[in-house]
Amino acid sequence: MFRNQYDNDISTWSPQGRLHQIEYALEAVKQGSASVGLRSNTHVVLLALKRSSGELASHQQKLFRIDSHVGIAIAGLVSDARVLSNFMRTECMKSKMMYDRPIPGSRLVSLIGDKAQVNTQNYGRRPYGVGLLVGSYDEGTGPHLYECLPNANCLEYYAISIGAKSQSAKTYLEKFAKDFGEADLDALVMHGLHALRETLQQDKELNLNNCAIGIVGKDHDWELIEGDRLNGYLDRLETGASTTGATAAGDLVQGEAMDTTEL
Amino acid sequence: MSSIGTGYDVSVSTYSPDGRVFQVEYAGKAVENSGTAIGICVKDGVVLAVEKLIQSKLLVPGANRRIQNVDRHIGIATAGLLADGRHIVKRAREEAQGWRDIYRQPIDGPGYHGTAVGKGRQVAKTEIEKLNLEGMTCREAVKHAARIIYNVHDDAKDKEFELELSWICEESNGFHQAVPKDLAEEAEQLAK
Repeated sequence: MFRNQYDNDISTWSPQGRLHQIEYALEAVKQGSASVGLRSNTHVVLLALKRSSGELASHQQKLFRIDSHVGIAIAGLVSDARVLSNFMRTECMKSKMMYDRPIPGSRLVSLIGDKAQVNTQNYGRRPYGVGLLVGSYDEGTGPHLYECLPNANCLEYYAISIGAKSQSAKTYLEKFAKDFGEADLDALVMHGLHALRETLQQDKELNLNNCAIGIVGKDHDWELIEGDRLNGYLDRLETGASTTGATAAGDLVQGEAMDTTEL
Repeated sequence: MSSIGTGYDVSVSTYSPDGRVFQVEYAGKAVENSGTAIGICVKDGVVLAVEKLIQSKLLVPGANRRIQNVDRHIGIATAGLLADGRHIVKRAREEAQGWRDIYRQPIDGPGYHGTAVGKGRQVAKTEIEKLNLEGMTCREAVKHAARIIYNVHDDAKDKEFELELSWICEESNGFHQAVPKDLAEEAEQLAK
C-alpha cells in the first residue's frame, strides 16, 4: 500500500509529515472483527462480533471487565489488549486505594493515551496494535464512551465502531445518533445489534456464539451478556422489532464478568 | 521552500550537506497540516483559541479538548499530533512543578505578544499583527480571537470545526480557564 523508504520505523517522519508505522498499526485494528459502542444518558453498551479460526475453535473473547464501572471492547492484536487491560485494572485499583473513589473514565483513558504515546516516539518500539472502545459510568458525570487507538488519540464519542467493515456500522450509528440519548437500555442494545449486523459479511448471521454484549450504567455494574442469554435480543432482531423501546426479555440479571485467564 | 533531502532525511541525527535536519522539518509538516491555534497577549491578560476540525459527527462536542492547563496560571494550545501534544504538556507540568518545589513560587510564562501555528498560521499572524494588542482588553481579545479563527477556516477544503477558547485575566483571577460560556457564545456569534 505505502511501501516507501520512510516506513521502516516509528521514529522516522515522511516528507509529508506522516508516521507510517502508526498508520500500519491502525491497519491492524481494521483487520480485527468489528466492535461497536454507543451511549444514552444513562448507559453505555458495547457489542462485538467474535471471530473463530475454524469450526472446532472457540470464538475470541472481545469484551472485558476492567472494574465494576468500566468495560472495554477490543479490535486488533489480542495480546496487546491483554497488556492494556491489565494496566487499566491496576490503575482502577490504585484509584480506589489512594482516593477512595472509582477512577473517572476520562482520567483512565488519558493514562492509556499517555502510555500509548511513548510507543510512538521511542526508537525500537512499536505502537500497540489494538483499538479499544472504553465504556464507563461515573457517578458525577454519567456514562462516557471513548475510542483509544494506536496513534494514542483517545476521543470521546456518542457512538463509534472499530474493526472490519466498521464504516457500515458507523453509517447506521450516524443515522440514528439523535435517538440514543433518550433511549432506554433495551432500545439502545437493539440499535447496537443493528449496527453490528451491518458489519457482517454476505452470508453470515449473528448467533449465540459469535456475538457479545456488555452494559454499564446508572445502578448497573458492568454486565456481560453471552451465549444463551443473547436469545431474547437476537430473536427480536430477527423479527425486526422496533428500536424504540420494548419490554426486556428478562435477561437483564446481574451476571458475573467472564474470566479472562484462558486467552 | 521545498527541496529533496533524499539520503539525508531518514534520521534525526543527520544533517544534510546544506546544514538542514530534514526529519525536524518533516515533523513541522505534521504541525502545518493541523487545525490552527493562536495566542494573543493583551493589556490585561492572554487569550488562546483553537480551530478544532471535526473528524466525525459522533464526537461529543466540548470534549476532546486541545487546550490544557500547566499549573494554574499557564495554558497550552497544541497543533499537530494530539498525543505528542499531551506528552509535551505532561513534561511542561513536571517542569512547572519542579520549579515550584525549588523556588517556592510559580514558574514564569513565555514572552510573545501574539503567535499562531497550524494550517492558517500565515493568515492568522497577519490578522494578529493588525491588532493593537497593548490597548486591548481580554474581553475584546476573545472576540478578535474567535473572528480570526473563523477567518482562517477554509470552508471549501475542510469540514466543520469547533472553536475552543481559553483565557487568563483579572476576571479569571489569574487562573487559566475556559472562557465563560456566555462570552464565548457572544464572540462566536459576532465571528460568524
